[in-house]
Amino acid sequence: MSSALNLDQADIERLNDSDKGELRQFFANEEQKSKIQSQSHALTSLCWKKCMTSSTFRSGALDNGEKACLANCVERFMDVNMATVRQLAGMGGRH
Amino acid sequence: MDSEGVKKAIIQATLQETNTANARALIEGITGSCFEKCVPKPGTSLSSSEKTCMSYCVEKYIASWNEVNGTYIRRLRQGAEGNHH
Repeated sequence: MSSALNLDQADIERLNDSDKGELRQFFANEEQKSKIQSQSHALTSLCWKKCMTSSTFRSGALDNGEKACLANCVERFMDVNMATVRQLAGMGGRH
Repeated sequence: MDSEGVKKAIIQATLQETNTANARALIEGITGSCFEKCVPKPGTSLSSSEKTCMSYCVEKYIASWNEVNGTYIRRLRQGAEGNHH
């Protein structure tokens, strides 16, 4: 599983412009992907607390109520997020 | 190593790193949430009902992550489209 990257400066200098450009694009995509994944982790933990209300689990699958709750939880979180940004932006204008 | 080889090595190492980080975050979430849910009063060992609960919980948590991730991505896309109008 571990194949640690073992490159030195000379290896890096061997990169041509086209490969450098490709890598830049790759890193931009990966950064975006990482941000979304880490936000999904935070949201799952938050929404899990709100949506998994049954005292014991009788199956490993999500029922329809739980699914709907999770989707609503994410949607409303985003609403709150946007509303907060909007309100703070409005306050900034008054100073 | 030529340019292509260096590029591939960097990409491969990066993907491995991000996959590991993602798996670690998922495990952390599962352990915290499912311990809370399934082992409310820790005894001297895990009971069989606690173990059953844990195994359902792991499946449920992963399904929840997928549901949340899907909804989040859909919402981000809508937001991005909204900005073009």
